[in-house]
Amino acid sequence: MAETAATHLPPGVDPLEPRMLVAPHHDDASLNETLLDHVWRKPGKGWFLLFGIALVGLGMFLVAVTMTLARGIGVWGNNQPNGWAFDIVNFVWWVGIGHAGTLISAILLLFQQKWRTSINRFAEAMTIFAVICAGQFPLLHTGRPWFAFWLLPYPSTLGAWPQFRSPLDWDVFAVSTYFTVSLLFWYVGLIPDLAALRDSSPGKIQRVVYGLFSLGWRGSGRHWHNYKIGYLLLAGLSTPLVLSVHTIVSFDFATGLIPGWHATIFPPYFVAGAVFSGFAMVITLIVPARKYLNLRDVITDRHLENMNKVILATGLIVSYGYMMEHFIAWYSGSEYEIWTFYVNRARGPYWQVYWLMIACNVITPNIFWFRKCRTSIPIMWVASIVVNIGMWCERFIIIVTSLTQDFLPSSWDLYSPTWVDWCLYIGTLGLFSTLFLLFLKFVPAVAISEVKELQLELKHAAHHAAHGHDTHGAH
Amino acid sequence: MSADSKVLDSWFLAEFATPEALVDATRQMREKYGYEGMDTYSPYPLHGGSEALGLPPSRVPFIALGGALTGMATAIAMMAYMNGYDYPINVGGRPIYSLPAYVPITFELTVLFAAFGIFFGLLGLSRLPQPYHPVYEHEAFRTATTHGYWLSVPKTVSVQADTIMEQLKSLGATQVTVVTGEKE
Repeated sequence: MAETAATHLPPGVDPLEPRMLVAPHHDDASLNETLLDHVWRKPGKGWFLLFGIALVGLGMFLVAVTMTLARGIGVWGNNQPNGWAFDIVNFVWWVGIGHAGTLISAILLLFQQKWRTSINRFAEAMTIFAVICAGQFPLLHTGRPWFAFWLLPYPSTLGAWPQFRSPLDWDVFAVSTYFTVSLLFWYVGLIPDLAALRDSSPGKIQRVVYGLFSLGWRGSGRHWHNYKIGYLLLAGLSTPLVLSVHTIVSFDFATGLIPGWHATIFPPYFVAGAVFSGFAMVITLIVPARKYLNLRDVITDRHLENMNKVILATGLIVSYGYMMEHFIAWYSGSEYEIWTFYVNRARGPYWQVYWLMIACNVITPNIFWFRKCRTSIPIMWVASIVVNIGMWCERFIIIVTSLTQDFLPSSWDLYSPTWVDWCLYIGTLGLFSTLFLLFLKFVPAVAISEVKELQLELKHAAHHAAHGHDTHGAH
Repeated sequence: MSADSKVLDSWFLAEFATPEALVDATRQMREKYGYEGMDTYSPYPLHGGSEALGLPPSRVPFIALGGALTGMATAIAMMAYMNGYDYPINVGGRPIYSLPAYVPITFELTVLFAAFGIFFGLLGLSRLPQPYHPVYEHEAFRTATTHGYWLSVPKTVSVQADTIMEQLKSLGATQVTVVTGEKE
């Protein structure tokens, strides 16, 4: 990774003016060529190598799942009192990672942030795959996933209905709705590009397959008329949805009475943590992808810098969340809370994880105060991985330290994960990577129609600012 | 293709060099010459395209609202009936009908039904999926989803084919062809 971003503006350029979003030398035809290229091109050795590694991970996942189903969840490290452990840590972590996708797509669309167009497809795919990974854990945690439909309200011969006042059932609705709406949003955004793939297919099979998925889209003005408003409305719906999902996930804890969980700061703090880890994951994935897919013209340094700013902002919110947890524990005067926050977490059996969390989540994002770090590709890539490790540690700390030592010392017990736990976790990374690599092979990684529209707008803006610089334009 | 095609169920397809030329030509064809039922084709939404075609406001928002209200009503009725009436569960004496506890699921179902409304409303209003459309009889039209800007004008009995061709060309069309809907 010898690549570094250009940090110096040419002389005479107003530093407050935004920098370029699309390299100026492109027109519609050349954008097609650049952005569709990686779909039609035969994948290189690098892709096959990564895909092989991902398949190994997927294999580990299948082994762990088979083991869990054959022997029961006793093969996990969970015990009494640690009924929740790796499974819920990973569930919350993966759901959180999914959030950046929706945020990028939806909130930035509503705020008309034009820099979003190049990264939204990518981020939405990440959301969908992350939620798929997240969903595996609660399903397996039920012990008998083939009865998971009992969580849904269906007219059962048992004559029983789910308990709708339980946050765990709220989770079922929240996560399944989130997945469905994200998938619809992603697919609606994809339709014009699938049609473009159909119409530029080199072979008959591709034309038929992409033709099926593009539903007969032909860029009709009458369709665009409905499409524009429909897409905007889906974005509008996704925005409160994404906030609600992680809020509801945090209710799983906040409605419990265990010290360390029972906190009103949880909903906003969990949402901020989700955005934090999600944007970090986008950076982790997009930095290599833009290099190997030749997307540097549309995913510019400005995109990366903006995402790093979001990581900095949400990192500070997460740090504030930690401060408030500690403050309220002290201010409440509850000896159990004080024990959990000041003794157990910082100095207890899992102190290494706690301090790793602080180092990753509180200290690391602060490097993005410096422009040099925000724009340096190697630094941001490493930092994004560090942040993801930190957020995983946070979920571990919240769940495990609270459960291992709660109110009654006689019921205390330590938790340590088994090899099945590790395989399951690493396995979902493999599942995620497999899906992601397939996505990069078969679907344009960048929303082409949106980039073209943006390109036109930029040209108009440049035309109006006749005495301006040709690489400028977007407001 | 020749212009002397006399099939009534046919469309004129004209390609324009830029999106601006297409929007301008669409508006003139409608306002100056009074053509109805035209359609534009472009790889991304045209600025001013809906206005040039004279389209009424989209009905998608109303369908979305209908979906949202349906979802909300469904959720509240479902939870009140299932947990309040049909299978009451007493947890520590907490209220059986508990609206605050119903809020999360009500919200989720509202969003879910609204999203379904938007998605299926969008497909329904656009009459998609549509596996075949006569405009695809013209191979060059395939640029409409990548980098071409096209206008389709349905043939009317009263106007001569040559007239339409001339009008389109005078508005800047780079090529004009006729496609028929015989195979539909």
